Amino acid sequence: MAGVSSPPPMDEKAKRTRDLLASFYTNTSNSNSAAPSSPSAASNLTPRSPSSLDSINSPSFDASSYMSLLVQKSNLEGLLQKHVQMAAEIKNLDTDLQMLVYENYNKFISATDTIKRMKSNILGMETNMEQLLAKITSVQSKSDSVNTSLFEKREHIEKLHRSRNLLRKVQFIYDLPSRLNKCIKAEAYADAVRFFTGAKPIFEAYGDSSFQECKRASEEAINTVIQNLQEKLYSDSEPIEARAEAVVLLKQLNFPVDNLKTSLLEKLEDCLLKLEDESKDVSVGEISKTFRAYLIIFPDSEQRLIELAQGLFSRRYDAVRDQLKKRMLSVDLLELLGIIWEDVTTVDQVLPEAALPAYSLESTCSSIRQHISIAFSHLQHEISDAVAGSQSKSNEGRDELDLHIVLENSKKAAMQGSLDLLVELRQFFDEKLELLPKLRELITDWVQEGFQEFFQNLEKHFILLSGSSTNNCHLGESNHSGVLTQSPDKLPTGLVLVLSQLAVFIEQSVIPKITEEIAASFSGGGVRVYEYGPAFIPGEICRLFRSAGEKLLHLYINMKTRKISVVSKKRFTTPNWIKHKEPREVHMFVDILLQELEGVKIEVKQILPCGVIKRHRNSDSVGSGSTNSSRSHPNAMREDKLTRSNTQRARSQFLESHLAKLFEQKMEIFTKVEYTQESVISTVIKLCLKSLQEFVRLQTLNRSGYQQIQLDMEFLKAPLKQLVDDDDAAIDFLLKEVNNAAHERCLDPILLEAPILDKLISAKLVKNKDLSASPL
Amino acid sequence: MQGASTGIVYGGLKYQARCIADVRADPDHTSFLAGTLSLKEENEVHLIRLSPSGNELLCEGLFYHQNEIWDLKSCPYDSRILSTVYTSGETYGASVWKIPEISSQSNSPQLDQLVSLDDHTAKIKSVLWWPLGKHDKLVTIDERNIFVWSIDSSNKIAKVISQESVGMLHNLSGGAWDPHDRNAVAAICDSSLQCWDLRTMKNANAIEHAHIRDVDYNPKKQHILATAEDEFGIRLWDLRMPKIPLKELPGHSHWTWAVRHNPEYDGLILSAGTDSTVNLWQVSVGSEDPAIDSPRDKRSRQIDPLLNSYTDYEDSIYGIAWSSQDPSVFASLSYDGRVVVESVKPYIQRK
Repeated sequence: MAGVSSPPPMDEKAKRTRDLLASFYTNTSNSNSAAPSSPSAASNLTPRSPSSLDSINSPSFDASSYMSLLVQKSNLEGLLQKHVQMAAEIKNLDTDLQMLVYENYNKFISATDTIKRMKSNILGMETNMEQLLAKITSVQSKSDSVNTSLFEKREHIEKLHRSRNLLRKVQFIYDLPSRLNKCIKAEAYADAVRFFTGAKPIFEAYGDSSFQECKRASEEAINTVIQNLQEKLYSDSEPIEARAEAVVLLKQLNFPVDNLKTSLLEKLEDCLLKLEDESKDVSVGEISKTFRAYLIIFPDSEQRLIELAQGLFSRRYDAVRDQLKKRMLSVDLLELLGIIWEDVTTVDQVLPEAALPAYSLESTCSSIRQHISIAFSHLQHEISDAVAGSQSKSNEGRDELDLHIVLENSKKAAMQGSLDLLVELRQFFDEKLELLPKLRELITDWVQEGFQEFFQNLEKHFILLSGSSTNNCHLGESNHSGVLTQSPDKLPTGLVLVLSQLAVFIEQSVIPKITEEIAASFSGGGVRVYEYGPAFIPGEICRLFRSAGEKLLHLYINMKTRKISVVSKKRFTTPNWIKHKEPREVHMFVDILLQELEGVKIEVKQILPCGVIKRHRNSDSVGSGSTNSSRSHPNAMREDKLTRSNTQRARSQFLESHLAKLFEQKMEIFTKVEYTQESVISTVIKLCLKSLQEFVRLQTLNRSGYQQIQLDMEFLKAPLKQLVDDDDAAIDFLLKEVNNAAHERCLDPILLEAPILDKLISAKLVKNKDLSASPL
Repeated sequence: MQGASTGIVYGGLKYQARCIADVRADPDHTSFLAGTLSLKEENEVHLIRLSPSGNELLCEGLFYHQNEIWDLKSCPYDSRILSTVYTSGETYGASVWKIPEISSQSNSPQLDQLVSLDDHTAKIKSVLWWPLGKHDKLVTIDERNIFVWSIDSSNKIAKVISQESVGMLHNLSGGAWDPHDRNAVAAICDSSLQCWDLRTMKNANAIEHAHIRDVDYNPKKQHILATAEDEFGIRLWDLRMPKIPLKELPGHSHWTWAVRHNPEYDGLILSAGTDSTVNLWQVSVGSEDPAIDSPRDKRSRQIDPLLNSYTDYEDSIYGIAWSSQDPSVFASLSYDGRVVVESVKPYIQRK
């Protein structure tokens, strides 16, 4: 590095090397270059950094310090080496310098030669230039003289030309009326209009003075043109293009075209309105043609036309909806919708911007939907009419209502009605209407949804009809059906049973059938996201109707027992049992009781099926676990009591009877009610006997009272057993319970002697027979 | 099977029985009073106490009572005072008794009769104490009349302050005293529930067309009461709207005989019936109108209000009583004289 000397003598290669090195040591050289600006810092740095000492090229190079450092650091050999190196470098530098001086000198000599040559060349040029100037001046003067001599003639020619043009125009104006007339004859209205518009500015400028006559004539002509054009426009027979051209020409003549347009469109609107009134007169094809023509004639009238078209179809769909309010068949609806759809497609080809298909799709959807919901509400009406209508009929005519027929009718109404509805709705799919496939899934959903709502409403309706729940009335949800609002509590008890059975029928037959049908033809769907899951959930509906059926059945039983309970209450609260007279005959109340029960039997027989007779009801009901008073471990309980009893005093008579009861087989009173004649009747009877027992327990009896009850119960035994075929044991048990209760509540419990009992009962039987025989 | 016997049974009553009452004035124990109903034998009043361990029922006292007991109430401010309504053959009566100091030598002492409430001309149905504490008045109801008595138990004096007849057409059969209003008594009539104002002795309000067997005021919410009825099972009413019940509960398979609000847990209702079951219900009677709710809510809210049905009974149950000392405990008394004490804790926690 130290060997690198001043740049000029270096060849290219050496220079590049140096540049590379310089870029490598940029930082150090920077610090070196910064150093001289602050000499103190430089002096501080120099002793420490040997690199700066080495840089012989830098301006801050200190020869003496470099020397002393070199002497200190290097040994002799090193110094000698350094010396040799330095001497070589100095020699190199000298040769380089010499070379430079020599080269520069050469250049200087050649420059001097060049200058000498230039000086000699310039000397001849000045004279040539002077000659050139003189010639140019003479050319200029000559051209000026030519120009002035030709000026007058040129002016004249220009003037002549102008006047000729003017004359031609005047001629044109004068010719205009005749030319226009010629055009009118030739029906070349376009040319006529072109001519007239060309002349128009002149007329405007000079029309009042020189060309007055001419202007009038041409205006007359052009008015004819306008009239002709208008005629052309109004005439439907003209080709559309000609009419469109006429409009364009009229517009060019500044004729108020908009008025024309509105009048034409109004005419069209009238025409459309007429179309609705007498639908067959004007076909939609023609209308669509008119639409197209107008669209071409008045390109800016599209908006209005769209409105017109939409108006037309919305009116037609409204009409359909109006018709829907009356019950109409799916086929009819489909036919109507089909016609409209065809029309829509025709118009759509002309007016795609009106988005008619979308609108029509929407309207079709809503119409179909409305149709479906109306169909369902009709069905509901039919069913409720089948139930309630018969009621009103019976009110007018016979008192005795044939419940069986009512039940069958309403069953048929429910089953056949819903099946018919399905068949009818399925026509939506059979139809080859282009529109419907798009709606298929939607319709499926609606039908399913419709059934779901229909059944839900029907269930509510049933409950409301039965008038069981006062709460439901306040909800007021089901009040949309007119039949419902009629006083629901007037429903005879028999109809409650009918409703109950109908609910069961719907649950067991109608819903599976419907589910099947829906699966067959209305499956799929689910286009829309339902909050409540799929639209038709047979399980839910089944559950609904099952509970409704049970509710109604219980209501029926409740109504019946309540009636009997009122009778019994009167019987047991009115007499003074403590002063009861000796029993002379079976009490009247027994007849009433039996009569009521007979009534129940008649109603039940008409409606409910015969049950499978179960002789071993007790064991069944224990196993079923639905009982109320079953005992799980009678023996354990008994032992428990016995051990206790040992610690207490001697047992009284009460405990003995209690124990006796424990040993007896426990009777199931409150078993689950089934939908059979036997079950319902026996439930009613059991509940009544239980009530009797409770009534007796509230009284205190003397001996005669006790005997009266004994007599009544004894008499009841046979007819009750007759009513309940399969559960004699329960009847026996309950009658005995009544007697037991009477025994407990009796001050002097002595039973009536058996012969007297028999005598009184047979007397009663004879009397009853007489009574039943005599009125007939 | 549901209701496998979880209760604690007290078999000490030797005769049939209808009445059981909570001893409200006993702050330290869960105690009940039960009275028997025997036509021919000498009747007894049992003081039953739940042992501290809570798994045994002990007989704390057994007192002879001449006549059969149709109604029994414990005085709400003195644990040793009770009232009974009794009949014997054709005679009837009502008395306020004091339980004597229990002495060891006599194991079946007589009750001390403090006062005999014997101004009645018709069959007495029930004696009412104001339920929430000390009040110097008593109400008695017989078939035709309502009496208000001023009672001074220390001097053994009872005076009729006022009396009103309901007329021959009506039969009163019981009643309840409003815990929120000392002047209001609900009396059960043939086909209605009449609310009497004791200041004017006038019928102030009525729930019509209801064949009611039992009535109980909600101790937490004024104006709310529950009725046990023939037709509708259990119904809850707001007396300010006597036309429409707030709620209906199905009640029992046969008659619903008695209904009681829990003294502590609002909405917890106990009912007893002649179908030998005791039912525990949970209903909320809030201020919100249930009809406003959306159908969806309604569906989710249709949880069975019946929390549990206690079925381990042999005969009809006429007596139920919550313990005011431990409101999660109730006692039930079936006609065969069995007292069963049950805890409803598992059903409360489930909420």
